[in-house]
Amino acid sequence: MKRLGVFLQEYGVIVALVALFGVNLLERGTEFLQPEILRNMVSQNAYTGIIAIGMTLVIMTGGIDLSVGSLVALCGAVGIIVLNGVGANEASTTLAIALAGCASLAVGTVAGFLNGFTIAYGRVAPFIVTLAGLAAFRSLALVLGNGGEIRSTVESYKEIGFGGIPIPGLQTAVGDPLIFYWHAILFLLIACFASFLLNRTAFGRHVIAVGANERAAHYSAVNTRRVKVFVYTLTGALTGIAAFTLSAKQNSIGTGSAGLYYELDAIAAVVIGGTSLRGGRGRIWGTVVGVVLLTLITATMTTYRVNTNWQGVVRGAVILIAVLLQRGARAND
Amino acid sequence: MSAFTLASRDLSMQFPAVLALDSVSVSFKSGEVHGVVGENGAGKSTLMRILSGIQTPTSGEVFISGQPVRLHGVRDAIGRGIAMIHQELDVVDELTVAENIFLGEEITKRGILCSTKMKEETRALLSQLGAKFSADTRVESLSVAGKQLVAVAKALSLNAKVLIMDEPTAVLSEHEADALFSVIEKLKSQGVAIVYISHRLSEVLQICDRITVLRDGRVVRTLERGEADESELASLMVGRPLQDVFPPKSHVHGDAPVLQVRDVSLRDKVEWASFEILPGEIVGIAGLVGSGRTELCESLVGLRPLVGGEVYIQGECCKLRGPKDAMKRGVCYLSEDRKGLGLVLDMNTVENVTLPTLRKFASPFIDKKREKAVVSNWIETLDIRVGDVQAPTLYLSGGNQQKVCLAKWLEVEPRVLILDEPTRGVDVGAKRELYELIARLAREGMACIVVSSELPEIIGLCHRALVMRNGRIVGEVPEPLLTEEAIMRLAAGVDAA
Repeated sequence: MKRLGVFLQEYGVIVALVALFGVNLLERGTEFLQPEILRNMVSQNAYTGIIAIGMTLVIMTGGIDLSVGSLVALCGAVGIIVLNGVGANEASTTLAIALAGCASLAVGTVAGFLNGFTIAYGRVAPFIVTLAGLAAFRSLALVLGNGGEIRSTVESYKEIGFGGIPIPGLQTAVGDPLIFYWHAILFLLIACFASFLLNRTAFGRHVIAVGANERAAHYSAVNTRRVKVFVYTLTGALTGIAAFTLSAKQNSIGTGSAGLYYELDAIAAVVIGGTSLRGGRGRIWGTVVGVVLLTLITATMTTYRVNTNWQGVVRGAVILIAVLLQRGARAND
Repeated sequence: MSAFTLASRDLSMQFPAVLALDSVSVSFKSGEVHGVVGENGAGKSTLMRILSGIQTPTSGEVFISGQPVRLHGVRDAIGRGIAMIHQELDVVDELTVAENIFLGEEITKRGILCSTKMKEETRALLSQLGAKFSADTRVESLSVAGKQLVAVAKALSLNAKVLIMDEPTAVLSEHEADALFSVIEKLKSQGVAIVYISHRLSEVLQICDRITVLRDGRVVRTLERGEADESELASLMVGRPLQDVFPPKSHVHGDAPVLQVRDVSLRDKVEWASFEILPGEIVGIAGLVGSGRTELCESLVGLRPLVGGEVYIQGECCKLRGPKDAMKRGVCYLSEDRKGLGLVLDMNTVENVTLPTLRKFASPFIDKKREKAVVSNWIETLDIRVGDVQAPTLYLSGGNQQKVCLAKWLEVEPRVLILDEPTRGVDVGAKRELYELIARLAREGMACIVVSSELPEIIGLCHRALVMRNGRIVGEVPEPLLTEEAIMRLAAGVDAA
């Protein structure tokens, strides 16, 4: 019984994933196993997923980043403005798209750096700093977009959003080659990168040390401030990447709506994945599974035709259960 | 009237790696001071954690006045009259003495606090203990000794019949310790059973009526007062006779100081501190707790900003920005707060040892094999007893934790190693090993600064001692004149008129 408890604490998120998958399979049969549906499990929330990877590192240092959702709107807005500016000339669309990506990435990086710098050197609580960011970045995006949507005037921008690598041998229901989207590929690549960063580099070890006992880490000659600045900067950069792919898919950015509640989804995925909000312990693969699990929850509710208004209740319950399981893990220490 | 007793029969506690307690049977009677001694890892803490309801034993029973009981948590234990005064005192700095004592047990009338009544009862308790502060004093303004009294008063307010005290004098000056002993004497006469855990054997022999010696999770013997002297007690603890505790002092070579401190001042803590240290020299810093010893040391690795003065390392004036900066210049600081600042308790031995030097092993990916090999080497050199190098350092005994901290800094190969209370909470056997290690490092040319409240340690180990009082270095005692008296005069400010 106790063993089962430990197993659930460690791999509960996978058990939940398999269980939900099984439920869907029973209800919808093999239709649920269509490659297209499986692909969407990974790609649908890959935007939040990319952000959640950064969020995992932030939370592992004992911090939090509430500003990512608003930052998506700001990065996307700047990206599309650059795109439209440079891409006005038909000949330079490729350049325009590249510059839009760079602009989005740069804005995210700078914003993340500002967050991190204020937190580490200004010694303000992460919650407060990023709460300010949540308000300010959205507001800046609204200013840029005049309160509404900014549409891309470069038609081929969409191709980034819908492009990707065809999966050999697999087809969609209508017979087109099945494409694994760029943003989903990025999500998985970034997850692998972060996993290596966390588990195999000095920086990763320092992240854990800062989260577990910041003062002891400082006394042990770890540059704790630099670690903090880095995790927020990385999260900002990842947010820029997410904003770029999201705006490409939509071929526009709604400055009031883009990225809304992404911070909550990202935090939820991190927590469900087994990363401790108190810092010091966490795992990237858990966050990836957490992201997929959130998508699967939505899918399951569609399967059972549950009114989408109920989604929040289910998500809330899942988050609470995840945290309760984690606390069990701590109490057993 | 049947006397109150707390007893255990065949208590065993199995942890994943070790059998921490092996059928331990003890009994504590009302009106006695019962010492519990043993090396670190002997099982003292585990036994106390079980008796105070923090942990549930694997097997065995606990009896209160002859009745078997199952303790469900700390509150349950307190309800049954068992209270523990932890080393880390559980008092809230921001509240007053009275508020602390009644925290969680506030006296109310229809939901409104009766502060007058609580203050009255607090005053009664404080006078019973002979405390010199008032019920309205904010706890943060009290000394450690004062806070300890608050914790004792709180236990008494809960009708504690057994008071378990874990190393109560570790953070007290000698004068404060004496005051505590008279409090203990008073409580004893009122019929309280005192369980007294300490590494200071002289103290245990002085105040305890009976002494139980634990070794490797078993009761070796329970001694009556006067049955053994200090060295016999120590032998029982380690299971072999102890020779000289301190290694012979080596000669100091070299004439160029490796570290020079000139007129260093820190805000509110240290004024005009100056000294220098040669390679291979062991310099002690003595003084009462709060005299600025730790603050001075912390400033030498950049943990505190200097408001005045300079620090020269190998003749070069340095503005140290933090421990990392200091480490690069060869100065390392081993903190007195092992659990809070010395180790990241959730991390394992390997990760803790390589924390400052991790970049050496990463290019950019950590070479975990090499890392582990280096740490294994330290484990062997320092004889660190870790069951599993992958287990969190939380589970190590005090002495082994200290060795992990040391290994961490020795891996840096420092020129100057500052050791702040290196043997606090460390058992006799491990203490001796630490002394030998420090002496060896000095022989090999490292400059060592040893901060200690234990005067025999300063006298036995150091080439000379600096004495601090109220933030100033008030004197230096060279080797031939090193005596407890000479140091205490300076530390307490008694002029040898």
